[in-house]
Order: sequence, then structure tokens, then C-alpha cells
Amino acid sequence: MALLEIDDLRVRFRTRDGVVRAVDGASLTVERGRTLGIVGESGSGKSVTALTVMGLTRLPNATVEGRILFDGTDLVGLPSDELRRFRGSRIAMIFQDPMSSLHPLYKVGWQIVEAIRAHEPVPHDVARGRALEALEQVGIPNAAERMDSYPHELSGGMRQRVMIAMALVLDPDVLIADEPTTALDVTVQAQILDLIRSLQETHGTGVVLITHDLGVVAETADDVAVMYPGRVVERGPVEAILGAPEHPYTWGLLQSMPSFSAGAGRSERLQPISGQPPSLIHVPSGCPFHPRCPHAFALCPQVEPPLVLSQPGHDVACHLAPAKRQAVGRQLGLEEAARGGVATG
Amino acid sequence: MTVQAANGTTNAPRRPPPPGGGPWALGSVVAGALGSSMTRYVLRRVLWGIVLLFVVSALTFLIFYAFPSADPAALRAGRQATPQLIEQIRHALGLDKPLYEQFWIYIKGLVLHFDLGYSYENNVSVSSQILSRLPATIALTLGAFVVWMLVSLPIGIISAIKRGSAVDRATMGGALVAISAPVYWLGLIVLLLFSRDIGWIHLLPGSGSYVPLTSDPTQWFLSLLMPWFVLAAAFAAFYARMVRGNLIEVLGEDYIRTARAKGLGERRVILRHGLRAALTPIVTMAGLDLGILLGGAVLTETVFNIPGVGRYAYDSIINSDLPAIQGTVLFGAFFIIVANIFVDVVYAFLDPRVRY
Amino acid sequence: MLRILGAARARPAAGAAGVAALLSLAVLAAGCGSSSSGETQSAASAASGVATTPPPTPTSCASKGGTLKILSAGDVDHIDPGQAYYAFSYEITRPTQRALLVAKPNSIDLQPDLAASMPQVSKDGKTVTVTLRPGVRFSPPVNREVTSADVKYAIERGFSTSVANGYAAAYFGVLEGAPTTPPSFPEPISGIETPDTHTIVFHLSRPEAVFDAALSLPLTAPVPEEYAKPFDDQAVSSYGLHQVATGPYMIKNNAAGSINGIGYQPGRRIELVRNPNWDSSTDYRLGCADQVLFQEGYQDPTVLTRTILSGAADANGDVPPPAAELKSILANSTQSKQLYFTPAGGSRYIALNTSKPPFDNLNVRKAVAYVLDRNALRLTRGGAVDGAIATHFIDPSFGARGFDQAGGKSYDPFPSQDFSGDVAKAKDEMKKAGYENGMYTGPEISMVADNVAPGSDTAKVVAADLAKIGIKSKIVSVTHSTMYTKYCNVPKNEPNVCPNVGWLPDFHEPQAILDVPFNGKNIVPSNNSNWPLLNDPRVNAAMDKAEQTLDPSARYGQWGAIDKSVTETAAAVPWLWENFPTLFSSRVVPALMVDNQGSPDVSLMSVK
Repeated sequence: MALLEIDDLRVRFRTRDGVVRAVDGASLTVERGRTLGIVGESGSGKSVTALTVMGLTRLPNATVEGRILFDGTDLVGLPSDELRRFRGSRIAMIFQDPMSSLHPLYKVGWQIVEAIRAHEPVPHDVARGRALEALEQVGIPNAAERMDSYPHELSGGMRQRVMIAMALVLDPDVLIADEPTTALDVTVQAQILDLIRSLQETHGTGVVLITHDLGVVAETADDVAVMYPGRVVERGPVEAILGAPEHPYTWGLLQSMPSFSAGAGRSERLQPISGQPPSLIHVPSGCPFHPRCPHAFALCPQVEPPLVLSQPGHDVACHLAPAKRQAVGRQLGLEEAARGGVATG
Repeated sequence: MTVQAANGTTNAPRRPPPPGGGPWALGSVVAGALGSSMTRYVLRRVLWGIVLLFVVSALTFLIFYAFPSADPAALRAGRQATPQLIEQIRHALGLDKPLYEQFWIYIKGLVLHFDLGYSYENNVSVSSQILSRLPATIALTLGAFVVWMLVSLPIGIISAIKRGSAVDRATMGGALVAISAPVYWLGLIVLLLFSRDIGWIHLLPGSGSYVPLTSDPTQWFLSLLMPWFVLAAAFAAFYARMVRGNLIEVLGEDYIRTARAKGLGERRVILRHGLRAALTPIVTMAGLDLGILLGGAVLTETVFNIPGVGRYAYDSIINSDLPAIQGTVLFGAFFIIVANIFVDVVYAFLDPRVRY
Repeated sequence: MLRILGAARARPAAGAAGVAALLSLAVLAAGCGSSSSGETQSAASAASGVATTPPPTPTSCASKGGTLKILSAGDVDHIDPGQAYYAFSYEITRPTQRALLVAKPNSIDLQPDLAASMPQVSKDGKTVTVTLRPGVRFSPPVNREVTSADVKYAIERGFSTSVANGYAAAYFGVLEGAPTTPPSFPEPISGIETPDTHTIVFHLSRPEAVFDAALSLPLTAPVPEEYAKPFDDQAVSSYGLHQVATGPYMIKNNAAGSINGIGYQPGRRIELVRNPNWDSSTDYRLGCADQVLFQEGYQDPTVLTRTILSGAADANGDVPPPAAELKSILANSTQSKQLYFTPAGGSRYIALNTSKPPFDNLNVRKAVAYVLDRNALRLTRGGAVDGAIATHFIDPSFGARGFDQAGGKSYDPFPSQDFSGDVAKAKDEMKKAGYENGMYTGPEISMVADNVAPGSDTAKVVAADLAKIGIKSKIVSVTHSTMYTKYCNVPKNEPNVCPNVGWLPDFHEPQAILDVPFNGKNIVPSNNSNWPLLNDPRVNAAMDKAEQTLDPSARYGQWGAIDKSVTETAAAVPWLWENFPTLFSSRVVPALMVDNQGSPDVSLMSVK
């Protein structure tokens, strides 16, 4: 059974300007010991999905529909105090900017201890011991001293390590990482991603890695889900999605990414996806990507394409004939490989 | 404030790890925090403070003489006194000396003997007058402070949490009214409602019933209840709004989201994480307000006839009693300067990002 | 608006210079009635709207013991009886200090106090002999019997700079050997002789008609030299903080004699306790209560008034109830019986500076006297309840001591319908002064006035009235004491008009009303009280003669005539013979000092 299964999740917010359909029918699966990368532009609903899993979108103006099955329990209908017990201990989350995500006025050791003691009634020194271990595990030098440091006394990379330590100290089943490396230097990014992967191997955690960076996905994810305003438009193993993507949006993403190989010429022109991401209040009818899709045809604005199986383990939501999609996808994948672009595996 | 370098090194002073828990740890924390940079900072501020006091003193002197105010020698002499007598008095009081000489004599007395001079009005030593009135002002100020913090914190927190609700709108509207009500008017209204002698409801001792704490604690307390509330009213309202505003802002910060993500209970998130961060600027403001009030809450002391430093300042201005004016102004300035230094030091304790 | 300003019990001048007068800053409170609204009294009546009968003089105590509580806004001017010169301060000196003479209760006539009998004056008026009563003792820590040397020292010390009594030179400067330049510390005066322990003889360089009356002032209360000298030998004497008493009460002190912080807390309270060495058989005073508390700092007169009405306090010390409260008290049948009005004894007037144009011209001044609306002026202070409209300077309470001789109420050289001013006659005078249309054509005139009500309101009325004859005024608004000490009392800084002045007498002799304010010889370069700077040789000569006329009926006739001539110079325009209201609580038997603006007399009051 999947560790975490999100089924047709819909999250709507009532605002002064109208109803924001932040997540509009998303379905995702996270397996034990595997990493799911969620890709999409900003506003695609990836963060809201993650926050909803954590139960952090239970606001007066929000409506959540659908199912989030975690280890057999449906988190959507779960009462808040019960959900709180899951949060932090069985499902943990780390965020994008570690400087602002750690409390500036408390020492990092204290913050980790707090996370522990919120869920387990252990004496203070035991908790401190575990916090210290966690810091060492994430590779922080001089961990004992660092326990008494304040966040602003640490570098960006170290802070993110602290966040990871804090998230993993209770050995959660799922770790959601929302853009964990976006705010970091490139060199540090790789370290952090390595760390996440190694921890996943040791603990067997299911990791959800949310990012807009296909390079990161290529490096770390086992499975990928591509989200476009509020819904998953394509999902499957990383090789399939990046090697033979079948959704016009994914094609657009790949083409708009710069490649890093030495062979690619500087004159290589990027091809951004035309148009703007749609408003979440006035979502286009039918397939929401149709205004920007170079392959759109008559059916697209009328009927929303369902997420269906296209190839084994590979779901796509598009009206284009599967054969045509696969052909285009394969071609793109080869071109990418030739360019030395996004490597897979 | 120095910003931390982004290279991962820390500029925090190295502290030896505490050998054990308890007071020893606390002591070494304090000693460590009061590292040489902090001590240097405090010393610098104190020296500046002294310079400021000197300037304030000189300015008061100049203002008294530059602007039309009554002639102390003539006031003392009485209405049929001969001009010779007035001149003699002027000479006896040292008022015929040139301004800078008078000022120099004053400063010398102040620095060498802590002598603030003698009142022109009744020849009583100014410092003894101020010191004898200080307990009343301190009692009034500290009590009002406690009241306004006790009132503003819960209201501010609740309004922030229930932002936009009817409760929030009601409390913020009420706060606006409380801020707008002039202290003197509010004091009179309260007296005419609740004082035992002239009020509708015979509840609390009226104007002029203040006694020192040592002579009758119950009466002291009861006589201060109305003044505390009147003085605290505008402050409570203002601080409630500030707490609410700061807390709303803080609750939108990322680390609050992290705290929730850790699975902490909502109360802990709001108080331990949210309020803790929201309070630091408020602590600063409260310290400064305290410092200002200790210089004397003139209006409250007047309407409730509390013999504090504020009333004394007012009386001395009316009587053109320069030594008393100087004394009270210096006292007020002193408290404000001390409060300023104090809150800056406290701020460094509260916010570890601040370094001097 | 509230009538705090000017109606406070302060001797210099129309009560306006008192400490209490300056509370006006605190007068921003809501709840004050307007002084001029609702006044339905017929404007034709110049009379005071209320009776001015004092409560009957108590002859015995209703009960012995208890505490009397008097509320005030400000403090005494000086706690030293040798310096005290405010009506409020006399509320302390009357029960604690025995001067040679004192006013009979409810009368302006004098009787012996420390003296055994009235002074004996020689035929030529230059020798005054007083015998002292035996058996009067000082309070602790001095304890011994009072002797004539103590009275001699008391008067001598008033001349020194260290003590600096304001009226010493004025009334006692006539003593032989009195210093012309103030010595730094008290020095003996040869003209005061003490042939034995209970006789004191004053040798005057010339006769002084009011010398007897001056013997009722607190400067003549005895001061023990051996005890006081160390305090008086300082640049500013501190005897006041260590004073001893001779009356039924003393200011509470410690064993060493210091009252500072004990019985006298400056700006806060004054506590009187029984003087253990007082012998009631030697004194007309009753001394009923065990303790008298003067509680200061009541800045809001409404609060003060209501506290008295509630019974939590017993009388107002320096500040009168505000107009709104007076109205409601008068309308209440029980409360109105606790309220008494006493003529202050002097008048309020508008002083015109005669030393410079345009008011150096007699006709212009007469025009001003005609044009001023005295009704409106009185309304700024509360209307008819505040007192009678004045038409000359000696006040009605003087009766046969010059008031009647000045023509009484019917003498009015500048009459107008309903006292509201006569613009036509004013213009006539202006024409006589050479202004063609009866309208002034010269430059703006200057006026220095109080910056708070009601003084500021008075100034506005004056300015408005002057405008009717074309005189435009530039008003400078300052605090009360600044107005006096920096402007109106300093001839070279004096503006054309000082509208907020007045004069209250030190005792009920007409000289005390007219001499200092209008005699040319009293013009001094600073601390001047002759605000019009009037220097009319005939008036001066008449005053100098009257000052030496010992026969009372003769001199009262002379002063009456002087009052008329001063009024006719229009150097100052009188407009109010003021009453002071005194409110007592219902729990005390009231007594007040008719000779001191109606101040409560605690030496005669008792708790019911």
C-alpha cells in the first residue's frame, strides 16, 4: 500500500476577490523509501497540497475536499488535535527559506528539543541528547556547541541542515520538502539534496520534494508529478517523465530550461512557455493549459482531460492522442540528452 | 548592530560551556552576554547621558530667562516691598550675577554635592522635595504600568487571533475611545462616578486621599486604584493596538508556519513563538514610557491630588521657582536617559541578533 | 468659566496674584458652567445678588475635639509669619500667632490680642505705647513667657533681606531708626523701646494715622530672638520652618522645633495641633478642634466644592466654588445656608497708564470711564453673585470709614444706563480731547492681560469697549505673576492698559485702599503698585495730610474726598466691589474672618 495517497484533492479559499481554487483535483502517491518530486510553476498548487497534507490549511475561509490517505487514515476528515499528533512526528515538513523558517529568538537546540517534547514525554536532557544526535546526523560540525547557537549565527546551508534535523528527529514516515534548496547557493544545494537522499536511505522515509527546478528533480526524485494550476497533469517515474514526457506543459518546461553541459552553445535559445499562468480564481474551462498550449484543438477548452494511464506507471491528463504524445515526448527526450541537458537516472 | 557574516562563521562571543545547570549557568550567561562589547556600549551611553543632562540643564536655564516669566525676587518680596528690598533679595538669591556664573554655581553644587538648590518659593531644599514626592510618582507609574500591560496583552492577543471578528472590532473601537479621552476629563468623570465623597457610587477614596505606603497600606492601595486606571486607560488602548498589530504581523512569518508544522499546540505557537517575537519592540516602548512617566504624570497627579513629582513640576513652573523647575526637569531627563539605556540593553538580551 | 483666577484669597491686589489664581491651566475640565449664561438678574441692579451677612460669632464650642479640614489649591506664600502676606496664609497665622491687635470677630474694628489694651497714642502722635498681656507663652520647644523684646525683634527682623517682609517699610518705616537700606540680617531699631518686659514703646519720626491698624498685622506677632537668630542669620531665613506659636494652635513640629516634613509639607498640607502652652483665659479664641488640616493641591474647584458639600472637608481655603456650583448651591435650601459671601474690602479696576499717550489726556480717560460696560465686566466673573458694581474705590464694607464719606453707592461720576456704558458721552469726551468724530485716530494701544479666564475675558471686554471709541488694542497674554512682575509692576515696561488689576486693603483703613495705588510718591521703578502712574500734586498733598490726621472722623472725611478726586481723574476705572464666597460643610459650626476676605477662622470653628 502506498504510504501517502492523495486522491482528487480540492482546496478552495474564499477571498474578497473571489474563490481561489488553489488545488483543483490533485491525485498523488508517495511510496515508502522513494522520493516524489512535484514540479510546477508558482501558483500551481504544489505548496498548498503539501500544507493541506500537514493540516495547515484549516482556515475559516478554506474548504478541503477529497481524500488524503496516510497509512490507512483519511487526514481530511481527521479532527485537528488528532491530526496534530501526526504533524511533526509522522509527517514532517521543511520549507524554503531556513533563515525565516527558524525562530530567530530561540536557540536551534531548543527548537529541536521543543519539536521532540511536543510529541514524546521525554525528560529534557534525553531530548537534548537526541537533538544533538540529529544535528550530528545532518553533518553539522561542532554540534554540541551549535546546539546553543541562534539561527542568525549559522550559514544558510547549516540552517537548512538544522531544519532537516528538526524534521527528522522524530523519525517521520513522510518528509515533505518545499523548495528546500531554492534559497541556497548552488554548491550547498547539492549537499543538501545528498543529505536528504542519504537520510532517506537510512530511515526509509518517503520524501516529497516540491520544486520548480527540473534539474533538482532529475537528481533526486524517483517519481515525478507535474502540476499545473491545481491539478496533476502528468505523473510517473522520473525516467519516463523526463525521458519521454507526454504532456505539452512538461514539454514546455523542458524546453524552457537552460542546459548546463559544456557542449551546448551559448546561442541556444530558450523557449519559454508562451502566456501567463492562469488565475486561480478564473480558471480556464476544460483543460486549463489550453490557452498556452501550441497543440490545443477544439476539444481542449470544452472538456477537462482526466488523468489516465498512458504507459505503465505513467499517467497523463491530455486530449492529444497517446501515440502522438509519446512520439513528441521521445523526440524531446532525445534532444535533451543530446544537448546534455537534464540527465535522468 | 552588526549583521552576521554570511560565511558560516559566528561573531558571537565564545563562552565556555557551563559546568552545570542552575544559577551558575545563568551567571555565566549574564557574564558572557555582558562581554566587553556590551560593557563598552553601556559606558558610552552613560557618558553621552551625562552630556545630555548637562545640555538639558543649560537649556532649561536659558528658557527660564529668555521667555517672559515672573521675577522670582519680586515674587518673594511681596507687594509693597521697596525696590531696594527687591534688589537685596535678588542679590541674596544670586540672581544679579551674570547668567553663566549662576549656571556654573548651580552645576558645581549639583555635581559636587548633589545639591539641587533651594526653592525660591519656600526655601526648602529642592532635592528633599523631589525625593519625598518620588514614592508617590513611582507608585502611580508602576501601578498604572502593571494595569495597562495586564489589560493590553490579553486584549491585543485576542484581537489578533480573532482578527476581523466582532470582538476585534469592538475592542479596537473601544481602544480608540480610550486613547481619545483626555486624561484630565477621564479623571474627573471617574471621580464624579466612584469617589466616596463626591461620587454617585461611594466606592473608592476620592481626590487627595493618597497616603504613603508605610503609613496605611490599604488606604494607599485604594486611593491609587482610580488614578491607576485613568492613567493606564490611554496606554492600555495604545498598547493593545500595538500588540495586536505586531502579533498579526508576526503570525504571518515563516517560523510560525514551521512551529505549526512541528505539531505544536496552537496556544504554544501563539504565545511562545508569536508573542515572544511580537513583544520585543513593545518592551522597548514600555520601558521608554515608564521612563517618561517617572518624570511625573502631571495631569493625573493634579486631578487626583497625588503629591508626586509631576505636580511639583507644575507648581514650580507656576511659581517661577527656577531651582525647582531645574530640579524636576533634570529628574525627568535623568529617568528618560536611564530608561533609554536600559531598554537598549534589555533589547540585546531579548533579541540575540542585536549586537553592540 | 470657572472663577478661580483672581477670586483666590491672595493679598496683593484683587486676589489675582495668588498662587491659586494660576491653576487655570487645570481648568480644561468639562463640566464647568458658563459664567455669563443664564444670568437673569436685572442688569439695572448694581447691587450684589446675595446677602453679605457673616455667620454669627461662636461664643463657645459645640464640641471639643475632632479635626477640621480646609481644602486649598495652592500653598501659602510664606510659612514664616514675619513674611506671610496672603489672605490664605493668614488662615494659618490667625490661629497660631498673636499679633498686638486683632480684628473683633465679624467686625472691622480692632481689639487687643497680645496687647492688654488698645495702644496709647501721644498727643503729637509720635509716641505709641502698648502694654502686653501677661501669661502668654511660646509653644514648645521655647516654652517661656512672651516679653516685649520678642515683639521688638519680630518687627526688626522684617526689615532685613533675610526675612524681607513686604509691608515692613510701608507701615513701620516711620519708626525712628528704621533702616532705609535693608540690612542683610536683622538689626536693632532704636525707635522701638522696651522699658520693661511687658511694655513696648514706638517712637515715630512723624505721626502715622494707620500705625495702630498696622499693629494687627502678623509682623507684630512675637518671635524669640535667642531661638530665631541662628535661622535669621542666613541669606534666606529658615525661621519659618522652625517657627513657634502663641495661639491655641501650633504647626506640628518635632522635639527640636522643625516643622519641615512634619506639620508643613510644602505644596501638600499644613497640620495644626494644639499648643500645650496656650492659656484660654488670655484669649478670645476658642480653640475647639484638636487638629486642623489644610489639605493643598485641589486644583479642580468643582471637586473641591463637592468634597465640602459631601462633608468630607469643612471649608474652602483659597479658591471659591465655581459659578456653576454656586448657582446650584444657592438653589438648594439646605446647602445655601452653608454658603456665605464676604466683601473683599477692595475693588477691581482697569488701570490706564497716564504717563504716555493717549491716556495722559484727562478727557480720553474720561471717555474710557464712560464707555466701559461694567455689567459685561462683572459678568466675566459670574455676575451679580460676585459682588456690587463699583463706582469708586473705597468698598461698601468700610461703611462710615470713608465709604459713606465718598458718597456711598450713589456717587458715580461716570453714570450710564444699567452701568452698560454710555458711548455718546464717551464720544463727547473724545471730542473735547480733540478727536473730531469722537473716535480715536491714533496708533494701536498695548494691553498686557492674564492668559486664562476670567482675566482674559475681562481683557476682551475692555478691548471691545475701547473699540467703540476707535481705540484698537494689542493684547499680550501671559501668566498672572508674569503680568505683574515683568510688565504692569515695572513702569518702563508698562503697557497702556493693565486690565486685570485691583487692590485689597491690608486692614480696614481707607489709606490702605488709596495710598499705595494712587499716591505719586509710591511710584517705584519695580514692584510698582501705582499702575496708572498717577502723580497728581493735589491728590498727593491731600493723601500726605490725611496720613497724619489722627482723629478718625476727620481723616475718614478726608479720605472720602480723596476717593472722589481719584475717581474723577479716571486714571483707573473701578468696576467691581467683590464678594468672596466661603462654603462650609454641614458638620461644623462656621466662623469666618470678615477682615480677611471671609477666610474660614479655625480658631473659632468647632465640629458639631
